[in-house]
Amino acid sequence: MSDYIFLFDMDSTITRKEVLPEISRRINKLPEMRALTEATMRGEIPFKTSFLNRVKILSDISVKEVNKIVAEVPLNPMIADFIKQNNERCYVVTGNLDVWISGLMRKLNMENHTYSSKADVVDDRISKVVSVIDKELMVRQFVQPIVSIGDGDNDSGMARRADIALGFGGVRNIAPSLLRNIDYAFYQDDKCAEFLWKLL
Amino acid sequence: MSNVNIATPKNTTVVICCAGMGTRLGIGTTKALVDICGVPLIIRQLQLLQDFDDIRIVVGYQAEKLINVVNEFRKDIVFAFNYQYETTGVADSLRKGLLGAREYTIILDGDTLENPSDFQLFLKTESECVVLSELSSAEPVKAEISDEKVQRLSKTEGSKQWPGMAKVMTEKLKSDSSHVYGVLNEIMPFKSIFVRTREIDTPEDYEQAIEWFENGCM
Repeated sequence: MSDYIFLFDMDSTITRKEVLPEISRRINKLPEMRALTEATMRGEIPFKTSFLNRVKILSDISVKEVNKIVAEVPLNPMIADFIKQNNERCYVVTGNLDVWISGLMRKLNMENHTYSSKADVVDDRISKVVSVIDKELMVRQFVQPIVSIGDGDNDSGMARRADIALGFGGVRNIAPSLLRNIDYAFYQDDKCAEFLWKLL
Repeated sequence: MSNVNIATPKNTTVVICCAGMGTRLGIGTTKALVDICGVPLIIRQLQLLQDFDDIRIVVGYQAEKLINVVNEFRKDIVFAFNYQYETTGVADSLRKGLLGAREYTIILDGDTLENPSDFQLFLKTESECVVLSELSSAEPVKAEISDEKVQRLSKTEGSKQWPGMAKVMTEKLKSDSSHVYGVLNEIMPFKSIFVRTREIDTPEDYEQAIEWFENGCM
């Protein structure tokens, strides 16, 4: 048995859809959200700036409502199953806000294994974002050998720090900057999961 | 040897090494993407590997371009990256492709065209083996054969060419040689399977390979 700890990006790695565009679609703000998300994935806007702007777009919607939508987002079944069955060795590292994703994290048995951005909530609305995660900084705190799995530009730092870096392109193309920093790339959920099981 | 399973597609990983630049070919594209009568070379190889469900392609030079071409054909390929392709050997690419591999590994070179029916005989062989071909390349790796088995691969001695293909038990592939034939030499001898092939290293090789392919790979 290996000592690897598995660090997962959430959007389009665990989920089969990106969460923020999915929410913005429900409140008819998809075009502006899509433009920001695409530019961020390509690495054209720093993640922190982009994320704060994206939260602003969603400031009118109920936090409980968002949490419910996120908890029901379809998942990559085999990757999700790996996480649930090996929850002690898996962590989710996501830019999303804790108050939005807690339902989904419960569903994945990741309640206490999640590193995310954080926000304060007043009257069921985001009152302020307290912190925006820096994934690379987060990964530096781990002392066990790491396997990272992601798809976006903001997963590159995590990939550089990982002992084995995986890219998952089954939902959307792996960001070019990440492609330069990974050891293996997968384009099907089952193939990625098969490989993860072999690394245990 | 009763505890040794026979090699089948279910317990076999295929590793195709395609990381290099192919500078001798001189067309600015990775050799796996050279056009073979309208179809990229890597797709010609994958068309012959339909029975296998654990295929790793080791990429480096023009990785993204190669991945896009392969993904158009089938989505279940695992890509391993060797970005140090300019300073490392093909054996380093192979090692990258071996992580988590199944009981048997089929080693293939991404710059080779195969006669389809000969190649199927190799793929269906249930025991360890190395592939031999007629001498055709400018700088072949050759095989020394005795007792009907391949004893050693080298650039100096032999009447048959080794086109970079073998089927071996994965656990034996432990050598740190920079050449794949060096890795295999440490675990010889193996029986040989004859496959008609053409390797594409130079523009002359390419022209001959196209003519050979158009004439039915005979």
